[in-house]
Amino acid sequence: MENNELIVNNPLRALGLESKVDGGIQAMMGLVMARAGLGKTAILVQFALDCMLLGNKVLHVAIGEGVDKTRTWYDDILSLLTDGEKISSIPEIMKNRMIMTFKESSFSKALLEERLDDLVKQNIYKPECLIIDGYDFANNDKESLEGLRNFMNDRGLKMIWFSAVSHRDDKRVSLDGVPAPCHEVDSLFETVLLIKPVGDLMKLDILKCDSCKLDPGTTLMLDPSTMLIKKG
Amino acid sequence: MNKDLSKVRNIGISAHIDSGKTTLTERILFYTKRIHAIHEVRGKDGVGAKMDSMELEKERGITIQSAATYCSWKSVDINIIDTPGHVDFTVEVERALRVLDGAVLVLCSVGGVQSQSITVNRQMTRYTVPRIAFINKCDRTGANPEKVTRQLREKLDLNAHMMQMPIGLESDLKGMIDLITMKAVYFEDPNGETIVEREIPAEYQAEAQSKRDALLEEVSMFSEELMEALLEGGDIDTRLIYDAVRKGTLTLEFTPVLMGSAYKNKGVQLLLDAVERFLPCPTDVVNMALDLKNEEKEFAVTNNPEDPLIMLAFKLEDGRYGQLTYTRTYQGKLSKGDTVFNSRTGKKTKIGRLCRMHSNEMEEIEACGSGDIVALFGVDCASGDTFTSEEISCSMTSMHIPEPVISLAVIPKDNKSQMNMSKALNRFTKEDPTFKTYVDHETGETIISGMGELHLEVYVERMKREYDAVVEVGAPQVAYRETISQKAAFSYTHKKQTGGSGQFGRVGGYMEPMDEGDYEFVDSIVGGVIPREFIGSCDKGFKKSLEKGSLCGASITGVRCVINDGAYHAVDSSDIAFQLAAIGAFKEGYLKAKPIILEPIMKVAVEGPTEFQGSVMGSINQRRGMIIGTTEEGSYSAVEAEVPLSEMFGYSTALRSLTQGKAEFTMEFASFKPVPKGVSEQLIKAYQDERKNA
Repeated sequence: MENNELIVNNPLRALGLESKVDGGIQAMMGLVMARAGLGKTAILVQFALDCMLLGNKVLHVAIGEGVDKTRTWYDDILSLLTDGEKISSIPEIMKNRMIMTFKESSFSKALLEERLDDLVKQNIYKPECLIIDGYDFANNDKESLEGLRNFMNDRGLKMIWFSAVSHRDDKRVSLDGVPAPCHEVDSLFETVLLIKPVGDLMKLDILKCDSCKLDPGTTLMLDPSTMLIKKG
Repeated sequence: MNKDLSKVRNIGISAHIDSGKTTLTERILFYTKRIHAIHEVRGKDGVGAKMDSMELEKERGITIQSAATYCSWKSVDINIIDTPGHVDFTVEVERALRVLDGAVLVLCSVGGVQSQSITVNRQMTRYTVPRIAFINKCDRTGANPEKVTRQLREKLDLNAHMMQMPIGLESDLKGMIDLITMKAVYFEDPNGETIVEREIPAEYQAEAQSKRDALLEEVSMFSEELMEALLEGGDIDTRLIYDAVRKGTLTLEFTPVLMGSAYKNKGVQLLLDAVERFLPCPTDVVNMALDLKNEEKEFAVTNNPEDPLIMLAFKLEDGRYGQLTYTRTYQGKLSKGDTVFNSRTGKKTKIGRLCRMHSNEMEEIEACGSGDIVALFGVDCASGDTFTSEEISCSMTSMHIPEPVISLAVIPKDNKSQMNMSKALNRFTKEDPTFKTYVDHETGETIISGMGELHLEVYVERMKREYDAVVEVGAPQVAYRETISQKAAFSYTHKKQTGGSGQFGRVGGYMEPMDEGDYEFVDSIVGGVIPREFIGSCDKGFKKSLEKGSLCGASITGVRCVINDGAYHAVDSSDIAFQLAAIGAFKEGYLKAKPIILEPIMKVAVEGPTEFQGSVMGSINQRRGMIIGTTEEGSYSAVEAEVPLSEMFGYSTALRSLTQGKAEFTMEFASFKPVPKGVSEQLIKAYQDERKNA
């Protein structure tokens, strides 16, 4: 199995966003939302793997999770993508990933910026894609998020993906249908996806996608046992 | 000794370096009246802790060999193996865990879950060892047992819950509140021997009650009876709670957390109570053996003293009483004068003396039975051998032994040292399967190899101290390997006709890379182009070729050699002719198969204050390291990376100066990976120069 074959069934290609990894004027910000425990990390890891397979360096920031658990997500998704087949290029691909974990209570925008500067300025690791899993949208305002985006832009990031937890009993939504707690910051995101269980099925609703080849309102199907986008 | 196996506990004490486990063991021995005075690890009294019996251990304040001891607490007999904390000696930890039924995981209340705790926990999980956690050093500044308990859950994925809460912390530590009996426990008298139970101080009442409620809710998952009692309300029988905790602990679904300060003599007796209440007895654990008469089929040992004997030798020691073999009996019984079989060698051995060890002192006994850990005298065997009665043939499951990653040359100073050195090396290789030794045929030097710089350093020191072998040591060398990266064909004819009988043999086929295993030989010869009697000669020739690769002189691994063609001569073909033909064929194919050099990559974990994280990452980057992840928790952070071993020499000094001595690191072998081109060229050149100058 070649790297290209692994990319085919991956979400960046499904959404037509591969070109975004090549960079634009501004870093693309994407958001994956779902209720707790529905598989946001699985989707984020698929985006990260896409970026890595396309030769980009990924910094995965896990807030409230350990390094080992995060690494297991990658191992599991890769094993599903490759059907357990041993791919010789995988160790090389994994060099494109770094995991940074923070406790919820100790994470701050300033701390992340300081850590990223450590990496970039010492030429240790220069990420092109950033995954931020577990960002607390409920307690951070739009200004802080905007500041984070500008900082990432200045550091040469091309793509940033966030995850956010929505709550069943919070009915607030934005005009584009983005649920709380992200309904007031949705203008900062080019792409917003929502994982929705419907009966036995798991759907990925595209609430917003400024440069996708798919229209907003389109729904992709996920395999509920693997959380991979269904082929075809 | 107890004949009732439910009253026996075989436990290990494992932890990160400097978590205080030797001090804890010392206190356990004191409270169980095995020793009558307390000596500290780096004791100013010059005695040293009981379990650190080797001189070297006392000097360095670290435990090198696991020493076995036993003691009695209330109604149970406890066999304790004190295991080393340094990762270079991990095989000792693993061996101990293999024979133990339960363990105490000691953590520092300030450092919390550190890298070695993670390694040890992983090993405990591999051998399904039920464990209880003991948060030590609660008297130290910055002690935070709550944080450590949280880390046990988050970092080690254990369902850990505090069974106690401290009364005061740091220098103010006064005692513990037992959340099950809801009593405040104090440790009085200079050595904390007298336990006094009082009412919980008013200011702790509410917190203790809420913690107890949470604990009961959690443990009720393991007992329907307890759940019902909780629903009904009213007083809960403590027996019910203990049973539920024990059930959860035995199935590894629950980890009771105890705390205290061994150094300040607080909390140790409560830990012993927990060992008795929650850790398994030999019959609670299922141990598997391999039936050698039935294609190594696994079967569970019975623990029954009436059944045939099964006993595992898990440690050898050359002490002042001669060779000691530490064993664990899994079923049957053994008396002085009995004859046992070594299932590996098939040899019979008569057991002359049986002893129960108490660190480096011993107590002679007449017999031992299932569940016992005892030492045998004068038995010739290797570590990991299984002894059985005559009627059965079985072996305990094999142990996971890592490959050595570092080597150095040892040159004896004189003839006497030479003789003593061979005695010492013979002993050490028997004692420790991760320590290997061989003679480099080209240089004539004796090479020792092991799991790290400290590992080898300790053996060199032991040679000097215990065997009076004075040796000079060379610079540590990384154990590189060579392998091939593509398939290549070979066809080589060995022909020699220079008087006398000639030599002729042709070997044809191919070699290809192999993901798993070192070497495989495949005979695909048809039509007798190489006669049957010379097939083995080809295999021998290939095996010889694997000893030294042509790139940097390292051994070759991961090669499958397939022979499918050849030729012979009715008179001139011989065993040696085909061996030489195979060596020639290997040489020919090897260069075409694009050989590469592999180097050992170590998993390195650096832990220290967050302010140094940037410099630590920089130092790893400079050493060709790949940072896998970083973890940040308040003022403390950890960097996890994979770094080539060759770049790690002297890292402890570099790290000390980078972090003002505030960070520490541990490393363990991860895998072999190809070296980058630049490094490969350097290694090849160095090897060529060395050969030119030889």
